[in-house]
Amino acid sequence: MSGLIGIFAFDELWNVSRILYYGLLGLQHRGQERAGIATGNGKEIRVFSKNGLVENIFNEKILSELRGWYGIGVVSADPNDEQPILVGDNSKQIALVFSGKIFNREELITEYNLENTLRDCEIIAQCLLKEFGEVDDFKEAGLNVVKKIKGVSNIIAINNTGEMIVYRDEIGLKPLVVGSFGFDYGVFASESCAIDVIGADLKADVQPGEFYYLNQYTVEREQIKEPKPKYCAYEYVYLARPDSRINGIWIYDVRRRIGEILAEKYKIEADLVVGIPDTAIPFSMAYANKTKIPVELGFISTGRKIRTAIKPNQFERLIGVQLKLNPIKPVFRGKKVIIIDDSVVRGTTTKNTVSLLRNRIGAKEVHILVGSPRIVAGCPYGVEIPPKDELIAAHLSEEEVAIVVGADSFHWISNDDLVKALGLKKENVCLKCFGGE
Amino acid sequence: MRVLIVGGGSREHAITDAFYRSVHEPVIYAISSNANPGILRICKKTGGELIKGNINDPMFVADMAEKLSVDLVFIGPEEPLFHGVPDELEHRGVPVIGLNSKASEIEKSKAFMRRLMWKYKIPGRLRFKAFKSIEDALAYIEEYAESVAIKPARQAGGKGVKVIADIQAYLKKVKEEVKKKHAERIYSQIMARYRDIEDKILIEEKVEGPEYTIQCMTDGESVLPFPPVQDNKHAFEMEMGPETGGMGSISGRGNILPFITEEEYKESVKIIEGVVKALRKEVNQDFRGVISGQMMLTMIWGPTIIEFYARFGDPEAVNVLPLLETDMIDICEAILSRKLHKVKLKFRDKATVVKAIAPRGYPNRRDLAKGHPLIIDEKKIKELGGRVFYGSVNLVNGKMLTGGSRAVEIYAEGESIEKAAEIAEKCVRYVRTADGWALFHRSDIGSPISLKRMIELAELVRSVYTYRKSRGILGKYIDWIPGRGKIVYES
Repeated sequence: MSGLIGIFAFDELWNVSRILYYGLLGLQHRGQERAGIATGNGKEIRVFSKNGLVENIFNEKILSELRGWYGIGVVSADPNDEQPILVGDNSKQIALVFSGKIFNREELITEYNLENTLRDCEIIAQCLLKEFGEVDDFKEAGLNVVKKIKGVSNIIAINNTGEMIVYRDEIGLKPLVVGSFGFDYGVFASESCAIDVIGADLKADVQPGEFYYLNQYTVEREQIKEPKPKYCAYEYVYLARPDSRINGIWIYDVRRRIGEILAEKYKIEADLVVGIPDTAIPFSMAYANKTKIPVELGFISTGRKIRTAIKPNQFERLIGVQLKLNPIKPVFRGKKVIIIDDSVVRGTTTKNTVSLLRNRIGAKEVHILVGSPRIVAGCPYGVEIPPKDELIAAHLSEEEVAIVVGADSFHWISNDDLVKALGLKKENVCLKCFGGE
Repeated sequence: MRVLIVGGGSREHAITDAFYRSVHEPVIYAISSNANPGILRICKKTGGELIKGNINDPMFVADMAEKLSVDLVFIGPEEPLFHGVPDELEHRGVPVIGLNSKASEIEKSKAFMRRLMWKYKIPGRLRFKAFKSIEDALAYIEEYAESVAIKPARQAGGKGVKVIADIQAYLKKVKEEVKKKHAERIYSQIMARYRDIEDKILIEEKVEGPEYTIQCMTDGESVLPFPPVQDNKHAFEMEMGPETGGMGSISGRGNILPFITEEEYKESVKIIEGVVKALRKEVNQDFRGVISGQMMLTMIWGPTIIEFYARFGDPEAVNVLPLLETDMIDICEAILSRKLHKVKLKFRDKATVVKAIAPRGYPNRRDLAKGHPLIIDEKKIKELGGRVFYGSVNLVNGKMLTGGSRAVEIYAEGESIEKAAEIAEKCVRYVRTADGWALFHRSDIGSPISLKRMIELAELVRSVYTYRKSRGILGKYIDWIPGRGKIVYES
């Protein structure tokens, strides 16, 4: 999974590299392993990408070398996901960022005569380059390629002569929004919070199946495939930032409604409710408002925010969790506590937390409520979810989990409740990792 | 009755059409640099003709008016006003509707307009600085400028306006560089063409809110307002891209816009009346013609002046003139005899949408946008309920060639803005080029999403300015600067 951004200034006075950088900081939660920026100046494209956090890998010198009036950026949760992809030579150069998974790799590899070891993003970049060589029209090349792709694909690509294309597949699994800044630039980003961070104005979602073409003299928008929305439910419960709006829905509203649903379903006699930072805080506040059980701040993080669920290895996850969750002891001692978490994937974090609260601090009762449904399967579209044998929900009932983690009670919300909280039609939501459709 | 229209755009097409509907059945002549097919057609129907020529040349226009022995001249665009065409006509005793060169300073010099508003303490005035030298402008940008609009001090065909929100400290450097380079560009490129003005660069505080235009006719004493219209300045979809003369505009039923209240409209008209009165005093001359306030609802003032036009807006004229029921010649005669206060304007109660269609290249590379042959299926557009107003189009040997600006404007009316927009949108595809050169328009203008966004923005702005009004601090700037103390800016 990754976070994408593209900025296109209509006036060459602009240097967008620093704006892209801050946009990426706003998307950092979508991938903390690798980041990159590519910019164009109408003649050539410059690229820089490296493993690490956005803040650590870029500096003043790199950003000034990346001077350009249009560009793209990416953060990735996969340390091997080297992007932006740069292909071509001086006459025709293309840089591309991509988020998703393509299902007809073989078809594309055969048709365009490509090596079959290429990653999905490289395949698309190569297809685009070959089409561009053939038709000599970046927009048409883009249209030809995206029409052939099957699967999930959000794409932002630029060339060296001042053109940009943007595409969100017809399923629209992953979010993509469009905004603008005055008379000066257009911006596309995986989440609206990135548009806020750079001080531009959110205009709309890029609709599923919608294609944009930009150059200095035009912005063209085409609906090239019939939208068949299947919005990723995991975005709303965990991945996206609560200050973002995707598919016209505010993430915070969804999380608040989930807290209310938990309050209606699970009436627990307790002294206080605590949310696991940061994602589960809105759940706990809504739960408290509804039940009138007081909400408290229970944990303080050390160091920067780490997205533990999408860390690639167990050891790093453990470090992440330990740094993230230092309990405030007087909050819990001798109390009946409801802990709300955003998701329980492997159960290890929950187990550690409960044991800490009960055995070390002396909480009287610990009840666990989870703001997401059971995660029981991997993501066919490439969202980082561990293999099935690591997923606690795929193997144990709520009763059994309670005993394993040492809690007095344990509950997930149901898929139907999540759909209700989203306010979308069930057929427009992807619930695959939750064992749904 | 013989009437001469000066100018050859969509606005002038709509003006010509309004004269054509008069019960006085005038013979209509036009002077224009391009052979506008729409204006030409009307002229011919009335037994008049379209004369190609330089509309900014006072002698040429006045000679032609005398030669054709017209009873009335109506001037559409601003440049002939700046060049003194009405002055020469008046000098020769030809009745003319069009602000004289001195009064048209209200549009020509943005610094003059701002100074006038401050001098006469008219509400809706923004803080500004005018610069004669580039050094002073750059020093100001470095030291003070935050969120600002940087403009050429003279009306330059809508070119060179940059509005930069500068709030995030971490992007300040990027924006400062753009502001400085833009100021240099205004100074060395845009303003280098004009020798008729001392001020070169204008820097104004940036404001945000829904924009609207109120077009008025005036006899120099009273002001007769038309219903408000909203123009959309961004070139491209989703309010992206450079500023244009306007890519399309909307007007609502009940002579009001859905995001402007009756009270705000009245307040806006009062501001324009105040400016006309002040202008009269300042120039110490009679004037008669059109004056339009390009306005915005802002947090600091509520109704606020962004710019003035000494003419109808384009495309805004195309929204309201087709709805006008009052006879255009009667209005003009009332203006000429200083009896405008006796006229009451009547409009048909319809919502309207105008969509401009421009060749790719507009607005920044008009050289690329120019010279492409157009094919327009007017019959089909009429069937769909739309109308074509011809703009930057030149009829050459029976072929319609694009002139580089907005080529045509599609007009549609309906029971709601959304319905009118649907009709206009359907009509757009019946305008195309014969050589395959791309045309563009804004499909989002008048759409439900776009209207919703405007209404939300207006509500936000309204809640702030009504709070300020209730505290008695409308138009005032009160701040506390650490180390300096409380600062109150007011006139």
